[in-house]
Amino acid sequence: MKRIKDRLLPSLAWLFSLLVIWQLVSWYLLEVKETTLAQSKVPYIHEVVHTLFTYGLTLLQEGWSTFINAGAGLLLGTAVGAILAILMSLSTWAEKTVFPYVILSQMIPVLGLAPIIYGIVHDENWSRVIIAAYITFFPVSLNMLKGIRSVSPGSLELMHSYAANRWSIYWKLLLPNGLPGLFNGLKIAAPLAVTAAILVEMMGARHGIGVIMLRNLYYGPSNTYMFWSTVVASALLGIANYLLVQLIERIVTPWQPAFRTKGGDN
Amino acid sequence: MATIRYKSKQLAMRALKQYIMPILAGVLFIWLWQQQIFHKLFNIRLHQLPLPSRIWDTFKDNIELLLSYTRYTMTEALIGMLIGSLIGFGVATIATAWPKWGSGGLLLIAALNAVPIIALAPIMNLWFSDGLGSRIAVVTVTTMAAMAFNAHKGLNSVDPNALDLMHSYGSSSFQVFRYLRLTNSLPYVFTALKINATASMIGAIVSEFFFSSGGLGYLLSNSIKVAKMSMGWACILMAAVAGVIFYMVIEKAEKWSVKWHSSQRNML
Amino acid sequence: MNPAGIEVKNVSMSYQSESSEVLAVKEVSLSIGKGEFVSLLGPSGCGKTTLLRMMADLLTPTNGSIEIAGQSTRQARLSQKYGIVFQNPTLYDWRKVKDNITLPLELKKVPKAERERKALELLELVGLEKFKDKYPWQLSGGMQQRIAIARALAMEPEILLMDEPFSALDEFSRERLNEELLAIWKKTNSTVVFVTHSISESVFLSDRVFVLSPHPGRLSAVVDITLPRPRTKEMRNSPEFYKLITQIRDSFEGS
Repeated sequence: MKRIKDRLLPSLAWLFSLLVIWQLVSWYLLEVKETTLAQSKVPYIHEVVHTLFTYGLTLLQEGWSTFINAGAGLLLGTAVGAILAILMSLSTWAEKTVFPYVILSQMIPVLGLAPIIYGIVHDENWSRVIIAAYITFFPVSLNMLKGIRSVSPGSLELMHSYAANRWSIYWKLLLPNGLPGLFNGLKIAAPLAVTAAILVEMMGARHGIGVIMLRNLYYGPSNTYMFWSTVVASALLGIANYLLVQLIERIVTPWQPAFRTKGGDN
Repeated sequence: MATIRYKSKQLAMRALKQYIMPILAGVLFIWLWQQQIFHKLFNIRLHQLPLPSRIWDTFKDNIELLLSYTRYTMTEALIGMLIGSLIGFGVATIATAWPKWGSGGLLLIAALNAVPIIALAPIMNLWFSDGLGSRIAVVTVTTMAAMAFNAHKGLNSVDPNALDLMHSYGSSSFQVFRYLRLTNSLPYVFTALKINATASMIGAIVSEFFFSSGGLGYLLSNSIKVAKMSMGWACILMAAVAGVIFYMVIEKAEKWSVKWHSSQRNML
Repeated sequence: MNPAGIEVKNVSMSYQSESSEVLAVKEVSLSIGKGEFVSLLGPSGCGKTTLLRMMADLLTPTNGSIEIAGQSTRQARLSQKYGIVFQNPTLYDWRKVKDNITLPLELKKVPKAERERKALELLELVGLEKFKDKYPWQLSGGMQQRIAIARALAMEPEILLMDEPFSALDEFSRERLNEELLAIWKKTNSTVVFVTHSISESVFLSDRVFVLSPHPGRLSAVVDITLPRPRTKEMRNSPEFYKLITQIRDSFEGS
């Protein structure tokens, strides 16, 4: 209990002091310096929170649309990425053919493709899913392949001594060994998938958090608190997606060194 | 004689796997695209997905414009990445020197990192008006976290024995930082720089989509709005080339500066 | 003629290194009887591990033949005539202790109830019933190696192959596990081939010690251990124990 308190306290202190500074700057810009668009630039936090609660239902509905599509894309991308990783681990031909492109994808700004894919698909739900999946499958397959490859020679030899067939070796050894990699890839992709979904929405969808964000931005200063609410909501969406992935990781792979609690009597 | 022939055959096989297969796959992909096989398969119109030859022509015809916009985008990406990486490293240093309060700062950066780039763009636009500054600010925010976390890991994953050794020399914590932690963090810093090379370009391009009067992202989104798809693809092509070059430059710098590190040593 | 024993006939093993051919094992012949406990002893590079791995069909000899219980090593592996314990416990991190033990049973499609029963029985044998639902990393190195032994015994093999199983442990745990291993051996009546580089360990455990010497790895002496069974802690201090150690050490000097 005490350890949690020790860790939480500094973070809370940071958060609190930042909020106070923000609030002070907001007051200074509005009342003292009288900047134009003062509240658009640095709005009062209590006003944003107020709007957040007033329009909570709308934000939740639109956010849900974003979240579900990004989530579906994440799932699809994970499936494709995992299959690709298994394929590459099975056949060196497949690996040599596909792997350079997986590496290449790490070097190019793939998110830039979002408007193009929207241009091709033209269905707001499908384009959100496809782009999120597209962004997900590269890091997932890359990291999962790394995980499968990192299996210790001893573990493989053990399987060999049991005369295990290929299917068992995959199912009981290589895939569990690749799971942490899969989750590492997913954690990289989770926030990006949300960004991709919002990007599509801003390109002209009818539903989603991105739609109300853009709308309120264009309506000008009168909607400034609503705009900031959508920013907060989208940040929460990104964090929620990341935490969800982390939670699933903890449930599925509790053996990972990072999750180990001190136990056993040595 | 027989073994030599065997070896050369082996080498040929390896070359075949290493280079020819991926190139062949790439060529096949572009050929299928050019022959409109994908168009028929997925029922896509030509104006939705232009042919590679068309994209290449557009790319060639507009190379001057593309290059000047690439310079614009790369300026944003580079400056933003430098500032972001510096701030990230600074936070990591503070978190190393004062772990209790510094780790809170790391947590804060993690939260900031969760804000989608796309939401940052309009905010930065409000703060820094619509010049280069606003995109640089977006890139700064998007590159901070990767550097902060990796540098923090590097500064703190020092061999405990080496720490004890420094302690036995009676060295100050500044000396420990200078001689031990800093060098130890180098490979991690490069990992972050490689992540940030791509992230900074994504940040720059995406924030140009909506609030800009120049850059590859601006050209890309504007071309799509007026249905000039081949121009959009030319932008992507240009961004991909720039991204690969950016990444390779950092990789070269890494090879050159962390030769001593084990991950590199084992490769040789 | 050797129904549950091991026949090694004139076995050689060479590796192709980058520049030349390295002879790891040269013309080794030996015969191990049913229920016997033997050690392969020697310094690093004497080919003792290579020899064991050839028995386990993890390596194929370049020359000569090995028979296990009258079968080829491949047949013996496919029919699970032996259980093997490596230097590292090689437990799978994502499986609980009992699930690690039942892994070979699972691979042979043994029903779940039967597996559970067997796991409990084996855990009791190695004295770790309490830890059945723990993960391997929650156990000490010595406990992990005991789990690895239990796993090797899961298929009730006639032969137990052990490749320096205790070399990563401290002297105290090692001696305790030596005694436990002898107790397990007595209960299971299996044939044990034990690879080690510790002279005292080989003397304490074995009926016979095969002494191997390096460059190239070859059999240089066979020493009968005349200490009575059951072996006890006190025997480690007996003059006879020291005499055998000296005898083995001398056989190295001679080679």
